[in-house]
Amino acid sequence: MLIVENVVKAFGSLVVLDGVSLTVKPGEVVTILGSSGSGKSTLIRCINGIEKLDAGRITVDDFDVTKPRELAEARKRSGTVFQLFNLYPHMTALSNITLAPIEVLKRPRAEAEAEARALLASVGLEDKVDVYPAQLSGGQRQRVGICRALAMKPRYLLLDEVTSALDPEMTSEVLDILAKLARDGTTMVFVTHEIEFARRISDRIVFLEKGKLITNLPTAEFFSAAGGLALPRVAQFLSKMQKA
Amino acid sequence: MRLDLSLLIPYIGLLAEGAVMTLEIAVLSLAGSVVLGMVVAIARAGKSATMRRIAFFYADVFRNVPFIVQLFFFYYGLPEIGIYIDAFTTGVVALSIAGGAYASDVIRAGILAIDDGILEAAEVSGLSRRKIFTLIVLPIALRTSVRPLGSVLINIILTSSVLSTITLNELTGQARIVSSDTFRPFEVYVVLLAVYGVLTYLVSTGVSMLHRRLNRDLQPEVN
Repeated sequence: MLIVENVVKAFGSLVVLDGVSLTVKPGEVVTILGSSGSGKSTLIRCINGIEKLDAGRITVDDFDVTKPRELAEARKRSGTVFQLFNLYPHMTALSNITLAPIEVLKRPRAEAEAEARALLASVGLEDKVDVYPAQLSGGQRQRVGICRALAMKPRYLLLDEVTSALDPEMTSEVLDILAKLARDGTTMVFVTHEIEFARRISDRIVFLEKGKLITNLPTAEFFSAAGGLALPRVAQFLSKMQKA
Repeated sequence: MRLDLSLLIPYIGLLAEGAVMTLEIAVLSLAGSVVLGMVVAIARAGKSATMRRIAFFYADVFRNVPFIVQLFFFYYGLPEIGIYIDAFTTGVVALSIAGGAYASDVIRAGILAIDDGILEAAEVSGLSRRKIFTLIVLPIALRTSVRPLGSVLINIILTSSVLSTITLNELTGQARIVSSDTFRPFEVYVVLLAVYGVLTYLVSTGVSMLHRRLNRDLQPEVN
């Protein structure tokens, strides 16, 4: 279980997360929606321990990310995919994927490489094993980024606007893979602006507004007139996003 | 007067000895300045304020004092307080310290240029700080700093000619001897110009090759 309890995070006088609580059960796909600056990415960055909390608690399978001793264990349980890929530029696709399994999990190189090849094949990049990030398209880079996160066998996959830097064609390459992962039962926390896609794959949808979590509903309910759409802010957001 | 290089033939061995010593000094000082530059760059980009201050102080002092003054201080000054170091070691140490100040600048720039996102990706994957540094930060920083490090190296080779002032018979030192032996400074220094030119050309070609190798993933027009 991934539990976020009353998390507060401020940058100077700007409160970015204001008492956010959220629970993600194994197997669930939870999408976080909200306009830019609502705190979505910061929430992900708090879960994986990049940002330090000002108050509250986040536990990943009972490991508390706010405790330096438990952070390493917590991090082993989550994998992050980034908006701007953040691949290691000096390493091939294969090495990008095998680095952490070999160095952190101490897996034998041959085993780690075999798994990495299988992962790359599963996202249609079997011929890009020895290619460097600079030689890949954006969509291909992000697919490598997903493989890199999956190679650590995370219990929770954190996806931070993973298609925001991609054109529509590349976006669909990446979304197809995420849909497959969702079908296979991968637990995901998904920050996105792809509302239609989120509607298809999510179990629940959370809406953030100025750092506050204003609703947390099963997907169907979120999109129903009596549920999420009854909230003026959500209705306004959805109509704007769907027009765009 | 005509240029007559043949009169230098008896002195080829002497000049070659000098060239070999220049090469030895260059290789040792390069290693010294890169290692020192790396350590200082780490300190300058690091977390400890004290270390940062010491590192900045070092880089500032040695970039802002003429090399020949540093050299004389080590070679003629230190014996006054009981520290004797032979000329060769003094030369290599002085060049390493001076070169290290410049190298630290170059490597530090390479470290600071690394995208934060890449470091965050490494951090959340669970890699230790040390692993992140040796496997991610340093290799990426070196990729971008090989070329400017090459200029530092070339400067070390050129500056090594100053070591002739502390009795060291490297290339320039030997040339001075040959010149006063033959009374033909024109020929001697024509040869010297050519040898330094060739030496630094070879080095810069090597640096370019290394740069291309380290950045082999990038498109040709970027190299």
